[in-house]
Amino acid sequence: MARRRSQNDKTDASRVPRVDRRQPWAIIYYETRDGSAPALEFLDECPGKIDAEFLSVLDAVAGAPPPQFSGGGKWEAMHGNMGGWHEIRLTGPSREQFRLFCVLENASDEELLRRGLTKPAIAVVTGMRKPWRTKFSENDYSRVRRLGDDHKANHPRRIAR
Amino acid sequence: MSSTALDMSLHERRRAQRMKDPEFRAAYERATREIEQTDQVIRELDALRVDLGMSKAELARRINRNASSIRRLFTASSSRPELPLIAAIADALGAEVRVMPKAPASRRSTRQRREPAAA
Repeated sequence: MARRRSQNDKTDASRVPRVDRRQPWAIIYYETRDGSAPALEFLDECPGKIDAEFLSVLDAVAGAPPPQFSGGGKWEAMHGNMGGWHEIRLTGPSREQFRLFCVLENASDEELLRRGLTKPAIAVVTGMRKPWRTKFSENDYSRVRRLGDDHKANHPRRIAR
Repeated sequence: MSSTALDMSLHERRRAQRMKDPEFRAAYERATREIEQTDQVIRELDALRVDLGMSKAELARRINRNASSIRRLFTASSSRPELPLIAAIADALGAEVRVMPKAPASRRSTRQRREPAAA
C-alpha cells in the first residue's frame, strides 16, 4: 500500500510543469476577451517584408533576451508612461513607421507557472503604424497600455493558440 | 500555483506557414543576416571591454559620452547604434571596425538575389 502511494506521488510530480530557463524564450500573442489577437491582426495587415522583419527581430531577441544586446538595434526599451514596455521599430515603404509593442514575461518559476508559462516569454500585445514624421497620440499609447493591463491581469495568461 | 501549461507554439507554427512564401522567406533571412551582424558587433565590443577590465563609465569617458548612453547601447535599451559611435568605441578599445567580403558562394547567392535571371 505504502509502495503504491509512493509510485503515484512520483507520477503526479512528473505531471507538474517545469520552467525551462534555456534560450530561446517563447514568443506569445495576447488574446482579448472576445478571442481576437491584436498583434496577429496587425502583423497580418503589414506588408510581407515588414511582417518578416518583425518575426526576425522577435526571434533574435528571444534567442538572446535582455539584458543582452539583440534585435539589430530595432528592439528598444520604452520610457515614461510606457516604462516596462519594449517596442520593435521598423520603417516600411514611403517611410511608413511600424511599431510592435511587447512586454517581457520573466519571473520566478512559481510566478511563471501561475501565468501558465513553462518558460520566460516575449508577450506581443499589439502593433501600430503611422506616416513618416507623425506621432502617436497619448490615446494611442493608452489603448496599448489597456491591452497590456488586461494581458497582465490574467492568470493563466490568455494567449492566441 | 496553476499546473496548466499553455500551448506557446503558435509563433513557430505561424512562422513555418509564412516561410512557405519564397518572398517572405527571403525577407526573413535577409533581416536575420542584418540583425546578426549588428548584434555580433555590439556583443564583441562589449566582450572586448570586459576582457580589458574597462567599466562602461570609463569607456564613456574615453569617447566623451555619458555613461548611460553606453549602458543603454550594450543592453539594447536604446535602438539603432550609429556607426560613428561604434567606430569610436572600437578605437577606445584598441580595435577597429572592418568590412569583410563574404565567402564566394555566399556572394554569388547575394548577387543572384539582386539580379533575377532574365525571362
